[in-house]
Amino acid sequence: MLVNAYSKKVFNLAYQFAGSYEEAEDLTQDIFFKLHNSIEKYDFEKNFSAWLLTLARNHLIDQYRKTKWEKKSRDEFNEHLLSADSRSGPEESVMIQENKKIVWEGFNQLSSEIRMAIILRDIQGKKYEEIAEIMDLPLGTIKSRVNRGRLQLAKILKEKKEAENGM
Amino acid sequence: MGCERMEELLSPYLEDELTEGERQTVQTHIRTCASCAELLSLMRETKESLSFFPEVDMSESLIGKLYELPQKRKKFRFVTDFLLRPSFQPIMAAVTVLLVFVSFYAFHPERSAINRSIERQFKIGFSKVEKLYAEAESITHTLGEYKDNLFVSIKNLKPFRGNEDEQPNT
Repeated sequence: MLVNAYSKKVFNLAYQFAGSYEEAEDLTQDIFFKLHNSIEKYDFEKNFSAWLLTLARNHLIDQYRKTKWEKKSRDEFNEHLLSADSRSGPEESVMIQENKKIVWEGFNQLSSEIRMAIILRDIQGKKYEEIAEIMDLPLGTIKSRVNRGRLQLAKILKEKKEAENGM
Repeated sequence: MGCERMEELLSPYLEDELTEGERQTVQTHIRTCASCAELLSLMRETKESLSFFPEVDMSESLIGKLYELPQKRKKFRFVTDFLLRPSFQPIMAAVTVLLVFVSFYAFHPERSAINRSIERQFKIGFSKVEKLYAEAESITHTLGEYKDNLFVSIKNLKPFRGNEDEQPNT
């Protein structure tokens, strides 16, 4: 039941964070193993989804600090994302497609905490209050991190566009 | 208002979280500052492209592995529960002490000296046992002699001699 309900959510978080499909598979297994080992500690008065995502977030950031993924390259954007993208509909413009590619590659330049905040807010569409609960941080800190992440990505987008126009 | 302060307000502006006064300030600033206006536009594009990121499907093999995890954990827990139960602790402690001695012996740089010492102690112990065995034999022999003498003495006592002197009437 846990696998059916939450595995895709956890896997996507791991994939968006790590940027590697294989790495995300390993991380998802690790997170579910931790989940089975610590399920007895779950407080039934708390939101289970937020609790699980906190577990996932802690594991992802711990692994990031140990292995320093930013030195590794992310999967090619079109390898997995574009295949899943075929369902997203015709409303997406070519510009959005190009921007997505740049933003995907730009994730590695964000710090782990900012990257996590951006993924939860802008990709997964969570409320700031939920993100504050998952990341165990004050609301103001989360808003500030999301803003800084967007600014960094916007600047990366600007540089790439200028480089392309200059060519 | 400077551009740095303006950057802090761009996300709340995009998400419509500013007060009316702050919103007016941002709008006034971006009308006159091309750099901040461009940044706002790029942030809007970034936010929009992030919202279009699709969910990726997992592989069937990963789903299979995730379903197997509780079984693996059960097996693991059975082994750890068995080894960590209280009644097993004295055995574990004894095994640990034994392993400490074995490793001390196995990795000691002067193992041959230890071997010789053990052999010497063994020989001393063996000769002591031999002596004790010999003493025990001599004690047994002496006790046997005492026992025989005692029986003979008892038999020679008058009350136990019975009617030996009387000749049966035939």
